[in-house]
Amino acid sequence: MWRHCLLPGLAVWLAAAAPAHAYIAYVSNEKGNTVSVIDTDSWTVTNTIKVGQRPRGIEFTRDGKFVMVAVGDDDTIQMIDTKTHEIADTLPSGPDPELFTQDTTGKILYVANENDNTVTIIDIAKRARLGDIQVGVEPEGMTMSPDDKILINTSETTNMAHFIDTTKREIVANVLVDSRPRFAQFKPDGSELWVSSEIGGTVSIIDPVKHAVTGKIEFSIPGLRREAIQPVGIGITKDGKTAFIALGPANRIAVVDAATHTVTKYLLVGQRVWHMAFTPDEKYLLTTNGVSNDVSVIDVASQKVIKTIQVGELPWGITITPQ
Amino acid sequence: MTWRIVLGALTLVAASSQACLAADPRYPDWPCAQAKVPEISLPAVWAGPPLDDVQSKWKDDSKVTALVTKTAARRMPLDEAEKEIRQFLASSNNDKVMAGKLLFAGLFDTLNAERSTVMNGLERVMRKQREAADRVRADTIALQALQSETSPDQQKVDELSNQLLWETRIFEDRRRVVKFVCEVPTAIDQRLFALGRAIQQEIE
Repeated sequence: MWRHCLLPGLAVWLAAAAPAHAYIAYVSNEKGNTVSVIDTDSWTVTNTIKVGQRPRGIEFTRDGKFVMVAVGDDDTIQMIDTKTHEIADTLPSGPDPELFTQDTTGKILYVANENDNTVTIIDIAKRARLGDIQVGVEPEGMTMSPDDKILINTSETTNMAHFIDTTKREIVANVLVDSRPRFAQFKPDGSELWVSSEIGGTVSIIDPVKHAVTGKIEFSIPGLRREAIQPVGIGITKDGKTAFIALGPANRIAVVDAATHTVTKYLLVGQRVWHMAFTPDEKYLLTTNGVSNDVSVIDVASQKVIKTIQVGELPWGITITPQ
Repeated sequence: MTWRIVLGALTLVAASSQACLAADPRYPDWPCAQAKVPEISLPAVWAGPPLDDVQSKWKDDSKVTALVTKTAARRMPLDEAEKEIRQFLASSNNDKVMAGKLLFAGLFDTLNAERSTVMNGLERVMRKQREAADRVRADTIALQALQSETSPDQQKVDELSNQLLWETRIFEDRRRVVKFVCEVPTAIDQRLFALGRAIQQEIE
C-alpha cells in the first residue's frame, strides 16, 4: 500500500524538482551580426553565434533542427544547426531578406525581400527556390493563415496588406492600412488578421473573408508624444483572448483584450521594443529591446516583467524552441 | 608635396560639405547620424509612481544626491550602479517608494542635463567645423593662386602650405572626436533607462 502512495508522491516531487520551462531562445542582433542563445531555465545567454551581416527575421524550422536567420546585407538566409550552433547551410532568398514565414508543415518558406519588392518561395528541405511573387514596395510583414491557404505580406511604402493565394501564388486582394505596416498576425482561429502600422501608430483589425478593416486599436500613454508610439511586433495567445503589442520607442508592450480590442495595460520593458515570442507553454513572453540591447521576460499570467537579459547589439527578432 | 596638401584639403572640404548637410532641417548644426531628440521624455523611461510631489526635493537629501552623483557617472559599470541602488532602497525600509522617487528624479535631472551639455557641445563643434572648412577652402584657393604666379614666393608658399596642413589636421581630428561623442547621448539614454528600471523593480 505504501508503495502506491510513495510512487505518485515521488512522481509529483520529481515533476516539481525538474525545471518547468527549459526552452532555448535565439535572438538576432541586427548591429552585432550575432545570434544570442538564451536558456529559459537559467535566463542566461549560453552562447553567441557569429552570423552574416544584419540579421533580422529569425525562426525555428518546425522539426527544431535548425534556426533560420535572414541576413539582409548578405542577401541570404542562414541555417544554424541547433546542436552544433554552426551555420550549416543557406537558403536562396532574394536581395535584402527581412522577414519570412513558413507553412504549418514546415516545408515551404516565404521570404519578404525588402529591396526588390518580391516574396521568394523556397522549398526548405531541398534548399531550392520555387519562384517569386511580385508585391508592393518594401515588403516586410509576413504571416500565414492557419489553413495555409492565404499568405499575408505587408508593404511598408505601399501601406497595404496583400492577400496571396498560396496555390495560385498570386495576389487575390489588397487592404489599405495605416502608414508603414510592419507586422501581421492571424488570430489562432483565423477569424481576424491584425496588422501593425509603425508610423500610423495603430493596429488594424481585418476581416480576412471580406478583406475589410473592421476596427483599429489605438494607443495612448500620458505624457508621451504620439509619434513615439510605434506598434511593431504582435503576439496573440493560443486561446485568442490576449494580445501583446510592441510599441517601439515608447519602450512598452501594450496588453490588449483580443475580444474587445481594448488596451488593458502598458508594461515598461526595454528601449525600442521590437519583436516577441512566447515560450511553448505560454508562461512567458520574451521581447527584444533594440536600444537597451536586452530581452525582457514577461510573466504572461501576472502580466509583469520579471527579468531582463543583456544580449548583443541591437536585438531585433526572437524565436523559441518549438517543443 | 604642396600639391598633395592642396589635394588633401580639397578632398576634405568636399567631404565636409557632405557631412555638413543636416539630416533634420530643424537642427542644422546637429552633426550626428543619430536623430536628435532634444530631451528625454519622462514617460519614455519611467512607469513608476508620479514624481509631481518630489520635483527638485532630491537635492535636499544628502544621501540621495551622493548616490545620484555616484551612479550617474558613466565610469561606474552599470551592474555596480544597479547594485548600489538596490542596496540603498533595501535600507530605506520606512519609505522605499519615496526614496526611489527621489533617486529617480535626481538621476533624471542630472542625466538629462548632462545629455544637453554634450549635445550643445556637439553643435558648437559643428559650427566651428564649418568655419574651419571655410578657412581651409579660402587658404587652398590662396595657395593655388600663389603657385600659379610666374615666379612664386617660395617662403610664402611654404608658410601657407604649413598652415593648411595644420588646419586640415585639426579639422580631421575634430571630425573623429565628433563621431565618437555622437554615441554619448544614446549611452546616457541607455543608462537612465536601466537605472530607472532597476528602481521601479525594487519599489514595485
